[in-house]
Amino acid sequence: MSAEMANEIKLISGRSHPDLSNNIAKRLGIEVARTISLNYSNQETSFTVGESVRDEDVFIVQSTATGDVNEGLMELLIMISACRTASARRITAVIPNFPYARQDKKDKSRAPISARLVANMLQTAGANHIVTVDLHASQIQGFFSVPVDNLYAEPSFLRYIRENFKPEDCVIVSPDAGGAKRATSIADHLNTAFALIHKERPRPNVVGRMVLVGNVEDKVAILVDDMADTCGTLVKAAAVLKENGAKAVLALVTHGILSGNAIETLNGSVLQALVVTNTVPLGDKVERCPKLKVIDISPTIAEAIRRTHNGESVSYLFTHAPV
Amino acid sequence: MVRNIVVLGGNSHPALVDSVCATLGLPPCNRILTKFSSGESRLEISDSVRGKDVYIIQTGFGGNGSKLNDHFMDLCIMISACKTGSARRVTAVLPLFPYSRQPDLPYNKAGAPLFKAGSSENGKKDYTFESVPATPAPGIPKSAGLINGADISSKLLKTSLTNGNGSQSPVKQTNGDGTYFAAVNGSGIGSYTTHDYENLSHIGAFSAKPGYKQWVAQAGTLVANLLTCAGADHVITMDLHDPQVQGFFDVPVDNLYGRPLLKRYIQQYIPNYKEAVIISPDAGGAKRATAIADGMGMDFALIHKERRPTKITDRQNASMMLVGNVEGRVCILLDDLADTGNTITRAAKLLKKEGATKIYALLTHGVFSGDAINRIHASAIDKIVVTNSVPQEKHKALLGSKLEILDIAPIFAEAIRRVHHGESISVLFNHD
Repeated sequence: MSAEMANEIKLISGRSHPDLSNNIAKRLGIEVARTISLNYSNQETSFTVGESVRDEDVFIVQSTATGDVNEGLMELLIMISACRTASARRITAVIPNFPYARQDKKDKSRAPISARLVANMLQTAGANHIVTVDLHASQIQGFFSVPVDNLYAEPSFLRYIRENFKPEDCVIVSPDAGGAKRATSIADHLNTAFALIHKERPRPNVVGRMVLVGNVEDKVAILVDDMADTCGTLVKAAAVLKENGAKAVLALVTHGILSGNAIETLNGSVLQALVVTNTVPLGDKVERCPKLKVIDISPTIAEAIRRTHNGESVSYLFTHAPV
Repeated sequence: MVRNIVVLGGNSHPALVDSVCATLGLPPCNRILTKFSSGESRLEISDSVRGKDVYIIQTGFGGNGSKLNDHFMDLCIMISACKTGSARRVTAVLPLFPYSRQPDLPYNKAGAPLFKAGSSENGKKDYTFESVPATPAPGIPKSAGLINGADISSKLLKTSLTNGNGSQSPVKQTNGDGTYFAAVNGSGIGSYTTHDYENLSHIGAFSAKPGYKQWVAQAGTLVANLLTCAGADHVITMDLHDPQVQGFFDVPVDNLYGRPLLKRYIQQYIPNYKEAVIISPDAGGAKRATAIADGMGMDFALIHKERRPTKITDRQNASMMLVGNVEGRVCILLDDLADTGNTITRAAKLLKKEGATKIYALLTHGVFSGDAINRIHASAIDKIVVTNSVPQEKHKALLGSKLEILDIAPIFAEAIRRVHHGESISVLFNHD
């Protein structure tokens, strides 16, 4: 092997989202490394490595499929650990949707801070670097003592809005107070109006009363959030916006987790469209829900991988989406 | 009644949790442990754990609609939550330690096919010395006789289903590398895998890069590190498949033995047990089996997994060899774990062939995954005795009177009580 061939990008894909890995690989002009993850009949995860990772720059792409989060996480940990024992020079875990991101604080007595646990587990397994997209709370980066690159879907969303709507017709709406910052950032970039919905949440996955702050009359209301889980919030928010005179309502969400009855909820809602990125494997949901539109995030991730590998700055990607 | 102690149970084995709590005379800790609809685990602990000695019981078993990895993550989350909830000490109680059986060379029930990595389309043609010669590369054909032009994937698939490949060991033919691979193959218990894959068809489509010998990740160390990283201060487990796993931890690990239970069963329920023979179904378990045989003054025999079939026609049994005499005797197969049941059922078949009158199989952990139940049903085993280190209700329903279950709850309850009070638990080790 020649010297300049050493330390290349090795892209390893978990089972959860092979499409995303393939897109990234295509974008980088490389092949996904020959590995295979399987389950034994006793349900333990097995990971077989079919090519050398010695002294290579390893990127492990693993999203977590809805409903199978722990399975995906365990597989990722085993993959990281295997690469470390196989003498990889650097191991970067590319986790487009960070699991347990919502369990990031001790909001009740004895509540687990599972996001920190996941961070510790990733480091224990041997991850030297983390690449993720739109962390639910950017403070999660502080749970790590290794570098975390938190990429944004925002540039892709901005482009989508500019390509499909006139920004002056739009109002950017945050469906809850926590997402206000994310929404105002988009509104500022587009130079459009901004509104906020205040909600009361009695229990997890249950949505209470909603109040609109701001004016959406005769405008296209664009709800912006980082994740759409059961879609209860989004659909209720859309109804509130419609009641307040919005011309059309659509939602731009980074992580389309879409668990439970999300698809049925969406189909029966006043939402015109739900635009998500493909950080989470969507399976057959696109076929089942005509309102669901998908933006490919792989160019951003691929570019981040390329820049990380070459030691270039990644911050360009915070404001620009690669074409 | 013990004070200042909290027993927190996972979802993997509620019956054992209740049983241990009943023995200790305290109620299990109130908690909600479910999943959010997104698939993330949700845990709420209702009882205070501040300053308490917390014992978390979760066994490494998935089945009955639950998943092993879910249970493991739940365990880590519970440990971490108790730690952040100011518990004085958190002890993870894992009757069956997950990922304790280290997988070995991949798909190598026959071992050999890996060395014939050269396939017709990507073997010899693509291989140059510029590519990555990771180790003494098995893919390099040293002699023309090795290039068989066979499709590697179909070979792999075939050999992972059947046992023993007919050809002679290629180890000797890869001259120069022979010693290395012989060492790998001969490394103790690992040389014969009893792991079955859930999705065999995928394996056929997989092949390593030419010149690279594929290997399977071993997760034992990782699991140990993850438990410590979650905050476990102490681990209690039983009959670790590899005692070395104990060394993977920086925290104390108490490895309890199921041996006294099995011994008592032999003494009480096997008539004329002094005349019976204790059998170890593989070389790795010989030590375990001899310990019992010696302690009880019984005869001992060993089944050796011979890896070079002598006759191509008799592949099935050529790969197993009995050392010792069992003719006209009652046989007691002794092992720590039965997963797919491959080892013990094949051993039973061989014993019957060698003239055994009755066959008992005594195991600590009866996981019985895959088609283990069917295998056991069809096998020559007359009675199979396991502990309830994993839930056995379903197995009992399927196997009926063939299955006998020994209760380990008293052992774990006693271990918890002793660890809590700082008493020695070595009494539990050599208690007969």
